[in-house]
Amino acid sequence: MQREVGSLPLAPSLRARLAAAGFQTAQELLETGPCGLSKEIGISKEEALEALQVVRQECHGGAARTAGGSGTARKFTALELLEEEQAQGFIITFCSALDNVLGGGVQLTKITEVCGAPGVGKTQLCMQLAVDVQIPECFGGVAGEAVFIDTEGSFMVDRVVDIAAACVQHCQLIAEAQQEEDHLKALETFSLESILSHIYYFRCLDYTELLAQVYLLPEFLSEHSKVRLVVIDGIAFPFRHDFEDLSLRTRLLNGLAQQLIIVANDHKAAVVLTNQMTTRIGQSQSTLVPALGESWGHAATVRLIFHWDNSQRLATLYKSPSQREATIPYHITPHGFRDVQPPAVTQNAGGTEVNPRKRPRREEEKQ
Amino acid sequence: MDWDQFDLNPRTVAALKKADIKSVKEILNLSGADLQRLMKLSSADVQCLLKTVSRALRRSSVVTALQLYQDKDHLTSQSQKLSLGCSVLDNLLKGGVPLVGITELAGESSAGKTQISLQLCLCVQYPYKYGGLESGAVYICTEDAFPSKRLQQLIGQQHKLRADVPAEIIQKIKFGNSIFVEHAADLDTFQRCITRLSLLLARGMVRLVVIDSIAALFRCEFGLSESVTKARYLQTFGAQLHSLSTRFRTPIMCINQVWHRNCCLFYLINGWRMVVHTLSVVVGNRVAPALGITWANQLLMRLMASRVSLPGQASGVASHCTGSVRTLRVVFAPHLPPSSCYYTVQLEGVRGIK
Repeated sequence: MQREVGSLPLAPSLRARLAAAGFQTAQELLETGPCGLSKEIGISKEEALEALQVVRQECHGGAARTAGGSGTARKFTALELLEEEQAQGFIITFCSALDNVLGGGVQLTKITEVCGAPGVGKTQLCMQLAVDVQIPECFGGVAGEAVFIDTEGSFMVDRVVDIAAACVQHCQLIAEAQQEEDHLKALETFSLESILSHIYYFRCLDYTELLAQVYLLPEFLSEHSKVRLVVIDGIAFPFRHDFEDLSLRTRLLNGLAQQLIIVANDHKAAVVLTNQMTTRIGQSQSTLVPALGESWGHAATVRLIFHWDNSQRLATLYKSPSQREATIPYHITPHGFRDVQPPAVTQNAGGTEVNPRKRPRREEEKQ
Repeated sequence: MDWDQFDLNPRTVAALKKADIKSVKEILNLSGADLQRLMKLSSADVQCLLKTVSRALRRSSVVTALQLYQDKDHLTSQSQKLSLGCSVLDNLLKGGVPLVGITELAGESSAGKTQISLQLCLCVQYPYKYGGLESGAVYICTEDAFPSKRLQQLIGQQHKLRADVPAEIIQKIKFGNSIFVEHAADLDTFQRCITRLSLLLARGMVRLVVIDSIAALFRCEFGLSESVTKARYLQTFGAQLHSLSTRFRTPIMCINQVWHRNCCLFYLINGWRMVVHTLSVVVGNRVAPALGITWANQLLMRLMASRVSLPGQASGVASHCTGSVRTLRVVFAPHLPPSSCYYTVQLEGVRGIK
């Protein structure tokens, strides 16, 4: 009831009039009533009634709303945040070197950007992640679903079928070696058809459709609450032509980034974007840099750059808040995104090839 | 724009009309705060407006990957591809050229790029059952004249190349009538070509576009210092072609030249092509497709054709072939591993060698 007038979701002109008339809290507004309000600030009675309805809704419905609206701020201590982050799942990439460099895999609630020249493997990684996000928890996955927003038309479902079949086979091998109840039970529902049916595919032909699709994402993710991955392949393509006004492009990209951050946080999903490379021409030489400009570099939390060294593909972790910069080699095989050599099988007590990629829990170490 | 057709609050509609907003694109180009200021609405109203217009724009229901996989309708399926007329080449490409996207065929001169393109122009006219699209082709020449004599030769020999198709069907197709040839030596003419293309595509008369070659358009007109302008042209053309390809499910085949990595003089002067060919033999086969990364970013798939002189060529392989052996290599594609196969150019067309 002591809400400040300035924080209420009213039209700015209305707020200005209320401030000019001397109203400071929501309580004062409600006490004045519609007739008094319309006389005091010179609006019609209908408008005053509407405004008071909004105020009442705000004051009584405040508890149910999530953050992102006006006002209610959640308070956390750093310890709570640390515990939350450690319990956070990762989406593994099946390339253990890359998972190690990322600290476990692609992190949920963060935006990861993958940049690279054409043909280096960005779309392959996206397809791999769309399959890997669905791995059941007993195999070390997050048991989620995936949204794939395609702007270039490079999503070839036959390739996804190959990747998904290899992933199912990998889990079957683990289950056979382990012979545990929950592994076999999970495999009953983890099949090629179920994987394909949980990848939601959207095709956007230009940047307006992409913006519209991102506005609709929160609603879609509320309906499909198991989605843990949103892929946009690629973010640069619709924004790199047709823009005489580059400041408009920067504004739109900033808005897009903000919405994606909200989506990632509210729905505990990982957002993966792919970006192109462009040539920056310096005084004496030219270098390849990620496209969309300098300000776009701030949008992603984690930035990976894929590049070639002769015929070896390399992935460099270029930007990360918690991991060191590192470069590792990787392969694209018919089964998907993989390490260069098969990873050494570590024999933990009851551990499998897949489990060591999970971050160790602090509670276990304390014991 | 008739805002009443949307499911909007009358107050929002009035505000839209007052602010003179004419299209959905204008609304989405503004942020939430800008819209609030412009239309004097509350943030809840603005969010509702954004969601409503987004929903109207993205009317199509969501598709799952399973539905894409199980879609066998030849009008919409991803597995539908344009055959190259030879089973060996089709196997390399896992069916043929994808219908949506720009495919590039790069290579040195006389590697066989034009031969493959001519063959595609004939293949597209076959029925769906035989890997075609039952429609014609547009062939845009940007440097040399269209090789009509060679086309007549190929038409005459179709029964030999396509032994899998019954003779009555081949006889019924009037190959020459459905190939539209355009000449465009500079960028303005090319732009006009693209505009005309959309008319032909809308009428369903063509389902293949060949551009021979895209590099020639940019070779003479831009010096090294005008790379920004060149990049903008490349991106605009790439986006237009991409949009046409998606709207009409029509493959676009662009032929590209290669240039030697250490010799950028080739870039500017046409006559140096012969010299470069010699250079590349001396220094080793370090060639790269022209036009750089700006153009490569627009492509779905890149193929490279080259003449390879193999040590064991004389025996067995070449004994029944009239021409030298060439290689067709997949450089990148989202659905293909890097792989290659051999082929020769015969009288009846391009044939892969197992």
